[in-house]
Amino acid sequence: MKKIASRKLSILGRLLASKGSALALIFLVGITLAAIFADFLPLNPVGQKLANALKGPSATNWFGTDELGRDILSRVIFGARTSLVTAGGAVMIAALVGVPIGLVAGFFGGWRDAALMRFVDVLLALPAILFAMAMIAVLGRSQAAALIAVGLTGIPSFARITRAQVLTLRKRDFVTAVEAFGGTATYNMFRTILPNSWSPIFVQVVVLCSVAILLEAALSFLGVGVPPPTPSWGEMLRTGKSYLHEAPYYAVLPGIVLTLTILSFDVLGRALSGLLEGHRDPIIAPKGEGATP
Amino acid sequence: MVDPVLSVRGLKVDFGGEGRSVPVVRGVDFDVYPNEVLCIVGESGSGKSVTSLAVTGLLSETARVAGSIRLCGIDVTTAAPETLRKMRGSDVGFIFQDPTTTLNPVLTVGRQITEGEVAHGRLKKSDAHARAAELLREVDIADPEGRAGQYPHQFSGGMRQRAVIAMAMAGQPKLIIADEPTTALDVTVQAQVLAVLARRQAEMGSAVILITHDLGVVAEVADRVAVMYGGRIVETAPVAEIFASPRHPYTRALLRSIPRIDTSDSRLDPIPGQPPIPGALPQGCAFQPRCAVGQDRPICAAEDPALRAVGENRLSACHFAEELPVAPLAAEPRLHAVAAPKKPEPLLVVDGLKVHFPVKTGVLRRTTGWVKAVDGVSLSVNPGETVSLVGESGCGKTTTGRAIMGLIRATGGSIRFAGQSIRDLDRGSMRKARRQMQYVFQDPYASLNPVLSVEDIVAEPLRIHGLYDEMGGARRIAELFDLVGLSRTMLGRFPSEFSGGQKQRIGIARALALQPKLLILDEPVAALDVSIQAQVINLLQDLQRELGLAYLFIAHNLSVVRHVSDRVAVMYLGRIVEESSRDGLYDLPVHPYTQSLLSAAPVPDPAVRDTRRRIVLEGEIPNPASPPSGCTFHPRCFRATEICSAEAPAFERYLDLPTRAACHHAGPLDGRRNAFASGAMETAS
Amino acid sequence: MIGFVLRRLLQLAPVLLLASTAIWAMIYAVPGGPIGAIAGDNANPEQIAAATAQFGLDRPVLVQYADWLWNAIRGDFGISIRGRAPVLQLIGERLPATLQLAVAATIVSLVIGIPVAIASALRPGSWLDRVLSGWSALALGVPTFWLGILLILVFAVELRWLPSASAYVPIWENPIGALRNLALPALTLGIYVSGILARFLRASLVSELRADYVRTARSKGLPERQIVGVHILRNALLPFVTIVGLMMANFIGGAVVTEAVFTYPGIGRLLIQAISTRDYPLIQGCIVIILVLYIAINLAVDVLYAYIDPRIDYR
Repeated sequence: MKKIASRKLSILGRLLASKGSALALIFLVGITLAAIFADFLPLNPVGQKLANALKGPSATNWFGTDELGRDILSRVIFGARTSLVTAGGAVMIAALVGVPIGLVAGFFGGWRDAALMRFVDVLLALPAILFAMAMIAVLGRSQAAALIAVGLTGIPSFARITRAQVLTLRKRDFVTAVEAFGGTATYNMFRTILPNSWSPIFVQVVVLCSVAILLEAALSFLGVGVPPPTPSWGEMLRTGKSYLHEAPYYAVLPGIVLTLTILSFDVLGRALSGLLEGHRDPIIAPKGEGATP
Repeated sequence: MVDPVLSVRGLKVDFGGEGRSVPVVRGVDFDVYPNEVLCIVGESGSGKSVTSLAVTGLLSETARVAGSIRLCGIDVTTAAPETLRKMRGSDVGFIFQDPTTTLNPVLTVGRQITEGEVAHGRLKKSDAHARAAELLREVDIADPEGRAGQYPHQFSGGMRQRAVIAMAMAGQPKLIIADEPTTALDVTVQAQVLAVLARRQAEMGSAVILITHDLGVVAEVADRVAVMYGGRIVETAPVAEIFASPRHPYTRALLRSIPRIDTSDSRLDPIPGQPPIPGALPQGCAFQPRCAVGQDRPICAAEDPALRAVGENRLSACHFAEELPVAPLAAEPRLHAVAAPKKPEPLLVVDGLKVHFPVKTGVLRRTTGWVKAVDGVSLSVNPGETVSLVGESGCGKTTTGRAIMGLIRATGGSIRFAGQSIRDLDRGSMRKARRQMQYVFQDPYASLNPVLSVEDIVAEPLRIHGLYDEMGGARRIAELFDLVGLSRTMLGRFPSEFSGGQKQRIGIARALALQPKLLILDEPVAALDVSIQAQVINLLQDLQRELGLAYLFIAHNLSVVRHVSDRVAVMYLGRIVEESSRDGLYDLPVHPYTQSLLSAAPVPDPAVRDTRRRIVLEGEIPNPASPPSGCTFHPRCFRATEICSAEAPAFERYLDLPTRAACHHAGPLDGRRNAFASGAMETAS
Repeated sequence: MIGFVLRRLLQLAPVLLLASTAIWAMIYAVPGGPIGAIAGDNANPEQIAAATAQFGLDRPVLVQYADWLWNAIRGDFGISIRGRAPVLQLIGERLPATLQLAVAATIVSLVIGIPVAIASALRPGSWLDRVLSGWSALALGVPTFWLGILLILVFAVELRWLPSASAYVPIWENPIGALRNLALPALTLGIYVSGILARFLRASLVSELRADYVRTARSKGLPERQIVGVHILRNALLPFVTIVGLMMANFIGGAVVTEAVFTYPGIGRLLIQAISTRDYPLIQGCIVIILVLYIAINLAVDVLYAYIDPRIDYR
C-alpha cells in the first residue's frame, strides 16, 4: 500500500515538473478554491447599480460591470461555482453509469454486450449538444436538468473506454489465471480487472471535465442551461454578445476564464494519460462525443 | 585475401538523451567477406540487432554511433544521408524478424518488392509487375503473377517472409542482413525459408549476416560465428570450431545449457543469474558474475578483457581463454532408456476431446461452419509422469490444455481427473476439481497481475479457495518462494521489478500453492532467454521429483520436449497423429509428419548438417476452418496416395511398438532406426 | 458488398428505432403532457378537448405511436404548432444552409488540420511540434461561441469587413456573397474541428512512423518523401477518413451553437426555436431528420472505409 501511495506522489511530482501541467493544476486549484470560498470574498454578484451599468474594467470592478451594473468579476467567480458543480456532478453521473456498463458489457460479452452497447449507441446517435437540449426540453430548464443532461452525454465515453480496457485485459493471461484457480467471474471483474482499469478511467474523468464545462457553458449560451439569476459563464457570454459594440470586455473577459478552465483540464488530462498509460494523447472520442461545434 | 564487404571497427552505440546515456553496443569489431554467412548470436539485450541497424545507418536519431563502419567502400558513420539511402537497397538488403509487421498492410506485395529498384532508377514503373513476379518465382511462390498483385494479409507467414527475402534480394545486394528471420515461424516453415535463403545466397554470392538466438539455426547455416554478450563480441570462430571447442566461458556455458534433440538426457547445466541489462553492466568483464572460470579472480572483476587472437581465425575476449578445456563438448550418444513398465491408475484421462468454434457469416450471422480446433484428442497422464503435446502453431495444443482446465468449453468427449468426470461440472465442483490441477502460462509478463505484490499473487489461489489460514498463511507463501528458488526478501515487490525467469518462477509458485497433483505447463520456457530456459527446466524437473507432480507439457520446441518428457504426443490440425514413449517417438517416428518435424528441427551441431538431409515440407498448415479431406496431412505428405485424400486413418498401434499413429502408410524412414542417423533420406516429393 | 451494407443497416436500424421511440415518448414525459404543449398552459377545457381531438390524442397510446411511426417513415412529421406549416417543409428550407456550412467548415478544418498534423508528427517533441500541438489544444479548448464572438468583434465590429450576422446565400447564386456570409461561421467551426483532426492524425502518424514497415521501407533505400507520402500517409489516412466523416455528421445538427452565434438559418437554430416555443412536432421532426442524416453519413463512412482498406473483407 505504501508503494501505491508513493506512486501517486511521484505522478503528482512528475505532473508538476512539466511547466504546462503545473500551470494548469495551479489555475484549477485556484479557481476551485475561489468558487468554494466565494461567499467569504469581498464579492457581490447580485448588487445592481443601474447608474454603474456597462462600465469598463476599473480599480473597483476589475472585469467591469454588466448591463445591470453588477460586478462581472464577482459573477465570474460565482459562475465558476455553477460551472464546476454542474460539470463535476455530470462527470460523476457519467462515470457511475458508464463504467459499470462497460465493465459488464466487456466482461460477459454476448447478449449483455449487445444490449448495453446498443443503449450506448442510442445516446451517441445525436451530437451531444442536441441530446442535452432534448433532455432539457423534457426535464424543464434547471441546474439539475443541465447536470443530468450533460451527464447522460458522457456515459458513452466511459462505457466505451471501460469496455475497451476490459476487452484487452480479458484476454490477458493473469485474468485467465484467476479463472484457472477457480476465481469466480465477480471476483475477476472487481478484484482483477477493475483495479487494472483505473488509469484510463481516471484520465477520462479529467478529460470529460473539460468537455462537460464546455457543454454546460454552451447550453447556457443557448439559453437552455442553468437559468438566471444564478450566474453562469455561458449566460454571461450570451448577454455580453448583445453589447459587443458598447462593452466588448463583457463577452471577452469571462470567455478567457472559461477557456483557461477548459484548456487546463485538457492539458492535465493529456499529461496524465502520458504518465499513466504511456502515450501522449488520450484516445480522442471516436464518435466526437461531447463535441459542441 | 579478398576485401571484406563490411568492416566494422570500434563500433559503439549509446541511446538516451543528455545526462543519462545507455551504452548498448560497446566496441565491436568484425569483418564479413563475400559469399560468407556470419551468424551473430546473443540473448536479448546483447546488442546484436542494434549492431546490424547501425552498420547501415538505420538507427533512430536518439542513438549516438561512434567507431568506423566501411560497407562496400562507403564510410557509413560519416556518409551523407543521401549516400546511405542509395547504398541501402543496392549494396545491402534487409530481412527483419516479424513478417506480419515488416510489410506495409495497404500496399500490394509486388509494389513493395520492386519499389526500391524503382526508386533507385534501375527499374521502370511499367516493368515493375513483371519483375515482382520474377522475384517471387525465385523464392518458390506459386502463381507469382497473381500473388504480386495481392496484399500482405492474403499471404501466409512463411510466404510473407519469402516475399521479404525476394525484396531484400531485388537489388542484388553484396550484403544481406537477416535479423532473426525465422524466429516468428514454425519449424517446418523455418526449414523452407532457410532453404530458400541459402539457395538465393549461393546463387548470388552475397555475404550474409544472420542474427539469431537459436544455436540450432547457427549450426545449420553459419560459416563463421560471432557471439555477443553485454554489448560486445566475446568470441568469433568458424562454425565447426565454436561448437566443438568454444574459447569463451559464455559460449561454452551457453552450449552446455541448451537441451539438445540428439544427445543424452543428463541434467542441463544452466548459466546462473540473469543476462546483464544495458546501462547496469557489472564492472570489469560483463560475464564475470555468471562465469565459472572468472568468478573469484580479481582481474575479471576489474578489467574488461580485449578481444584477442586465441588460434587461427579465432578471437576470444577472456582473460583465461587458454584455460578452457580444448576437449569437445560431449555429444554423448543417447542411451535408449528402457521405460519401466508401471501400470498405475492414470491421473488424467482425456477421451475424444473436441473443441469446435462456430464460424458465423452472412447478414444474419448464422453459424455456417465450425473451426475444429481440437477434433478428437485422447491422452492420459499418470501420476508423476510428464506427457508432452507438441505441434506447430494452430495445431490445437493450447486449446486442448485450456479445455482440460475448463477455461474453454469442450464440445465433445470426456475428461476424467482422478477417476471423476470434470467436463461440464457445475461451478462449485469445478472449483474443487481445479485445486488438484493447475496451469502455468507461457508469457510470464502477461500472467501476473501488475497491481498486486508477488506475495498477494502467490497467495491469491489460497484466498480464493478460503484456505489461506488453513494452509499456513504467510509462512506457506514464504515456503513456496523457497521451493521455486526465490528470495523471501522479494515478497513485497511488484511483478514489474522481476526478470522473465523470475516471473516464471512466481507463476510456478502460484500454481503450486494449492498443492496440485497435475500441472498443465503451456510453453513455460518459450518466452525466456536461452540461458534462463535451462534454469526453469531444471526447477520443473526438481519439483516433479520432490512433489511427485504429473505434468502435461505443451510445447513447440522439440529439443525441450525430448529433454523433459516421458511420453510425447504430436498434434496436427486438432488431432494427435502419433503418440509414443519419448525415445520411441524420437528414435523411430512412424508418422510422416513426425518424421518431417524432427528432420526440420535444427540441431546445434554443425557436424551433422552436411550428412543429414532434411525433409522440407511443402506448404503450410491449412486453415482449420476448411481442413483437407481424409487425412488432413495428405496435401503436404510425401507418402500420400489416393486413399489418404479419401479416408481419415484410424489412430492405432504400430506393430508391437509402444507407438500409436494415425497414418495409412505408417512406417519408419528407410527402415532406419534413428532419424538423426547420417545418410540420405527420403526427400519431400 | 451488399451484404456488408445490409449488415451495417441491420445494426443501425435498432438504434434508429429506439432513438425515435425515445423522441416520440419525450412528449409524454413533459409536465402537462402533449396537450399542455399544444394548447398552451392557460387553455380552457374546450380548447383542450378540441386540441385532443384534432391531434388524435384520445386514441390508445400504442395506436398513436404506430400512427406517428408510420407517418414518420413516410416523411410526414405533422404540422408545426407555431409555424402552422408542415414540419418537413420547414426543415427542408433550412437543410441547404446547414449542408453548405458543413461542407465549408469541413474544408477549413482539413486545410488547417492536415498540414498541422503532418508538420508536428514528422519531428515529435521538437519546438514546432510543441507549438502546433499547443495550437490544437487551443483550437479544442476555446469554446466555439466565444471564438465566434471574438471573430465578430474583430472582423465585424472593429474592421467592418464581414457581416456580424450570417445569412444563407446559395453559393451557386452569389459566390462572393455566400463566402462573405460563410467565412466567419465556417472559420469558427473549422478551427474547432481542425484541433480534433490534427490531434487524431498526429497521433496515428506518430504511431505509424514507429511501425516496422517504415524501417523496411528505409532499408530499401526509399527517399524519405516517398516513405512519408506513400507508406505512412496511406496507413494513417485510413482511420482519418472515419473521423472526418463523423465530424461532418456532427456538423449537421451539432452546429447549433455556431448557428446561434451568427444567427445563421440552419437546422440547429430551427431546433432551438422549436425548443423554446415547445413546438413538439417540429422538435421531433428536426431530431429525427438529424438522426437519419447522422446515421446515413456513418454508414457511408463505414462502407467507404471497407472499400479503401484492402484488409477489410466486406463479404
